[in-house]
Amino acid sequence: MTDVIGARSVGARVLRSEDPRILTGKGVYIDDVVVPGMLHAAFLRSTVPHGRLLSLDVSEARELPGVVAVYTGADMASRSTAGIPGSAIGMNMMPGLNIPASYALATDKVRYVGDPIALVVAESRAVAEDALELIVEDIEMLEPVVTYADALDPSSPRIFEEFENNIAMTGEVAMGDIDAVFAKADRVISATVSVHRHQPVPMEGRGSIAEWNPGEEELTIHTSTQSPHLVRLLMSPQLGIPMENIRVISGDVGGGFGLKMGLFREDIALAVAAVDLARPVKWIEDRGEHLATAGQAREEMAEMEAAITADGVLLGLRMNVTLNAGAYPSDPFPGAMYVGSVSGSFQGPTKIEALAATSTSVFSNKSTYVAYRGPWATADFMRERLLDIIARELDLDPLDVRRRNYVHRDEPPLAMLSGQLFLGVTTQESIEQAARISGWDEFRVRQQAAREEGRYLGLGMASYLEAAPGPKNPNAPEGGGGGIMGDEVSHVSVEPDGSISIITQQHPHGQGHQTTLAQVASDELGVPFDAITVRYGDTQFTPFALVATGGSRAATMANGSVLHASRALREKIMTIAAELLEASPADLEINGGTISVAGTPSITLSLAELARVVAEEPDRLPEGVDRDLEGTAAYDGGMGGWSGGTHCCFVEVDIETGMVEIQRYVVVEDCGLPVNPAIVEGQVRGGVTQAIGAVLLEQSAYSDDGQFLAGTFMDYLMPTTTVVPNFEIHHLESVLLDPDVNFRGVGEGGMIVAPAAIVNAIEDALATLGVRVREQHLPPARILELLGTVPTA
Amino acid sequence: MTERAIRLTVNGVPREETTDVRVSLADFLREKLELTGTHLGCEHGVCGACTVLVDGEPVRSCLMLAVQAMGADVLTVEGVADGDTLHPLQQALMETHAFQCGFCTPGFVMSALALLRDDPGADEAAVREELSGNLCRCTGYQTIVEGVLLAGRRARDEGAVL
Amino acid sequence: MPPFEYHAPDSLDEVLALLAEHGDEAKVLAGGQSLVPLLAMRLARPTQVIDINRVESLSTVAERGDQIVFGATVRERTAERSSTVRAQSPLLAEALPFIGHAAIRTRGTIGGTVAHADASAEIPCVVAALDGEVLVRSASGERTIAAPDFFQGHFTTALADDECVVEVRLPVADPSAGYAFQEIARRHGDFALVGVATMVSLGDDGLVADARISLMGVADVPLRARAAEAALVGAQPTEDTFVAAAQAATADLRPASDVHGSAAYRTHLTGVIVRRALTTAGARARGEQA
Repeated sequence: MTDVIGARSVGARVLRSEDPRILTGKGVYIDDVVVPGMLHAAFLRSTVPHGRLLSLDVSEARELPGVVAVYTGADMASRSTAGIPGSAIGMNMMPGLNIPASYALATDKVRYVGDPIALVVAESRAVAEDALELIVEDIEMLEPVVTYADALDPSSPRIFEEFENNIAMTGEVAMGDIDAVFAKADRVISATVSVHRHQPVPMEGRGSIAEWNPGEEELTIHTSTQSPHLVRLLMSPQLGIPMENIRVISGDVGGGFGLKMGLFREDIALAVAAVDLARPVKWIEDRGEHLATAGQAREEMAEMEAAITADGVLLGLRMNVTLNAGAYPSDPFPGAMYVGSVSGSFQGPTKIEALAATSTSVFSNKSTYVAYRGPWATADFMRERLLDIIARELDLDPLDVRRRNYVHRDEPPLAMLSGQLFLGVTTQESIEQAARISGWDEFRVRQQAAREEGRYLGLGMASYLEAAPGPKNPNAPEGGGGGIMGDEVSHVSVEPDGSISIITQQHPHGQGHQTTLAQVASDELGVPFDAITVRYGDTQFTPFALVATGGSRAATMANGSVLHASRALREKIMTIAAELLEASPADLEINGGTISVAGTPSITLSLAELARVVAEEPDRLPEGVDRDLEGTAAYDGGMGGWSGGTHCCFVEVDIETGMVEIQRYVVVEDCGLPVNPAIVEGQVRGGVTQAIGAVLLEQSAYSDDGQFLAGTFMDYLMPTTTVVPNFEIHHLESVLLDPDVNFRGVGEGGMIVAPAAIVNAIEDALATLGVRVREQHLPPARILELLGTVPTA
Repeated sequence: MTERAIRLTVNGVPREETTDVRVSLADFLREKLELTGTHLGCEHGVCGACTVLVDGEPVRSCLMLAVQAMGADVLTVEGVADGDTLHPLQQALMETHAFQCGFCTPGFVMSALALLRDDPGADEAAVREELSGNLCRCTGYQTIVEGVLLAGRRARDEGAVL
Repeated sequence: MPPFEYHAPDSLDEVLALLAEHGDEAKVLAGGQSLVPLLAMRLARPTQVIDINRVESLSTVAERGDQIVFGATVRERTAERSSTVRAQSPLLAEALPFIGHAAIRTRGTIGGTVAHADASAEIPCVVAALDGEVLVRSASGERTIAAPDFFQGHFTTALADDECVVEVRLPVADPSAGYAFQEIARRHGDFALVGVATMVSLGDDGLVADARISLMGVADVPLRARAAEAALVGAQPTEDTFVAAAQAATADLRPASDVHGSAAYRTHLTGVIVRRALTTAGARARGEQA
């Protein structure tokens, strides 16, 4: 990019520094990593959903030329400690949560289709796969537990026999006076709404190389992850290797979406093999393994009873939420716990006065429930669906219902039921702007005209608030925006040649942090964007982070941290420069990497020269001047603020075929000040696209008897160029809460709000035909079932 | 004997290697020739990440055996740019902020290159139809389509050589 | 992929000799767009793979008499770009772009998709619609098999283990007929939920003189709706007629259910696109743009 002296980089559509690398095939993803002497691994996996592993004969596989070793559950039991997901960070202590301990490979039972049973290590991947075919397993089939009803049926077999039943978690929440709001309600509306199982599916699947250095007793894990430090933290107790002796290296990551946020059982098995063999072992999962075993998300349902007024105001809600958590809990965030977020995050921008919920998560013979882009998304879906259900029931305009239900800034209530402040919310502005851009009222005329021609058009709206990071309560200033994930640490330093290095605890995998963090530092330091390098991905030099890139943290936390670290560095630079230039620090400025004295343009000092003096002639600097040329900041999120906005979706439904076309999609959103609007918009489009997939295409389908039915990209369908429309994205003027850092997260917003906007649009299209939608997944066959054209399968 | 010698041209360079006959062209490029820009996203021909040009035509390199490329002229993503200078298509894709994580990118570059060489005047509908065989999980496609259209415009209006 | 021996002879005789030697242990590799994924998933386990792509005589499209003759390894992309196909087989020309995506059609072959006999594939459906025929040869001789005899079930054909598809032959189009191919897929390029290839020709009296309806994705073979075709002959080419034909075509269907849709859904969809395709074909037969 061209540098314009004095022009600000932040706020500009700066071209990404990642792109020359990825556009020319020079990115280094996990399968591109080659370690000398590397062996290759393949897993034998269960083809039955639930069974008792009676015997396993690996002798023939061990004899196959090229096979180096075969490991079984018994080997894992003798060489590692059973993992208790969440225990490393105390998640397993959440009240009501049942967490089983498991080894990396099945020991006594198999619990879903894909459960790893044995690990073959061979000279090549092909030979390892050949060997899998020589393993003979004897499994006694048990009755599969597939659905919520199966799991809640006391007569079903227990998946984890250490527990009394198949309940993974129970919880209750009561906020406000629920009886009082029901007593004063004009009406009560009931609805049971469900979300289907679907999954993140990054284009790059999982993969790792485990490497053991027996001399140093150090384990190195090369892996595709969102959180390198978390991997070592979680591996340590199972392997009995101190965390400081585990190094995690991760380069380019081909997408994560929450999936690559923790430790996988396969990684433990690989590490056990690498330690045992003292040779590096590589495992790259194939797409079939990925779809069946990497992790799935969302399967939730809520029975809702809404206390409403005659004009459509939702006063309060009783909810009964159930979540199907699958078999093995995810480490460190067990899927079962997300059931609490459905009620806990339900309120969003509404003024509800009370909410009472019971929550139940169940184990089933399905793949592990993992975090997926906005893990609380079901809460937003329930709320935004319910507002439309209320509107339809009362024959009100869904826009008017939203006007009445969403909070107005600086008017009561000033806080959510949870206590979180409604500070700076712009939801009302966003619905008005979205309605104006969409032509909300004119649409009804077009819709009516189209109906007369037998065409069914629909328009749906949905809004959200996202705590990314959420506002800080000025009266309780100790609570940082980093929340339980903690502060964000960055190091910014001047290299000997005068260039700038940023070391971040983020682990970008598409979010463009090498670009955005450099933009922030460029402005703060007065250094050209091109002179800044953002480094990440090796736990030997990056600051510890529980969650590196996830939870829409980076915008506020990482940018804020880099901003403050850059300022600290700038102060050091100016102090040194003032000594060398014999000027007052207050008179100095930096532009384009050169320090000058204001008003005396002839006197300059380049950063390179300054760095040279510090390195080679430190004696020129007086005592007491910091000469490390490094700025560090641990940032707590400052005053924070809400992200949020409103989406409007236009659809046309072919009522003969059930095919839904998304004709137009409008986003009005508030994420504070975008560092790079092009990157922000990319996040929004990507999130909405995954939501389009969820509603129209994607389902992690299981048969009634627990077989996985979506094991290829011909069964698990994701959106393509011909499914997704162009998006109209509008940025709302934001209320800024922090003096310095008003960048807010945007990674999850698109994915959490769009499913409701799309489903609301589809119901709107078909409402006059009597269709009422109570689910999220609406493939064409289901549309025709809802229309009554074909019987429900 | 399942090991075969093959000769082919890759990115303009004649290569002579041996390969097991059960190795796909994609694995051969990645492992034998260390051209890891070609990515594998599904190994069953749906995702398009492994798309390369064989004798100028787009091919799923996961669905072709390496031995079948005997005598072929193969172009991979590594052979598209001119040294450090991005190819006009790559430049356009960078300018439109086309991609995010980059895993699908090589396949899109190769598919789009084949499309534009065939028809630099392809309109949005044609671009969307042609690229519908490449999956991207990050972007929602709009910026990719814009980049391909931009490259096509530059080829038509400014004589950029695709 | 499982281990196998690979052969790439450059003459058909060598191909046939290898087939004679290895029989059902061998798989013929043409475009590979179906066979290679099956190998990659280890769902196919031939010990011998016989690659016919080097047999040059199999790679040409020709007009021979009143037929278009496709050598077994003619690429779908080649057919798509063929002026012969465009001029003489509008039905095939309309069906070809529905096959996967450009990179699939670059390799995929007419002969391969016919031999693979996926009942939800486009080319077999067209071959069935047009009463095409398949020339197959073994070391001991050759035979020509009519489409209804060739397609016998799911991935099952009349091909013996030692036989190889040599040619696929389609009659050149009747210039007075209207043709239409339609399919409904979850996404562009996916295997269709259902599809239909139709032909309508009109007599001088304006009534339907001949009609073809070939269905894909609803049975274990590309299925001709013969009763519906027969009922169309002599009828007025009106919307009502085509609605009735669609009903007749779906009356006895027993399609399979899968994650993409139930049998009832597929049956319903078939009716919709049969009506739509016949309407288009009828309009084309009248010389209207449709």
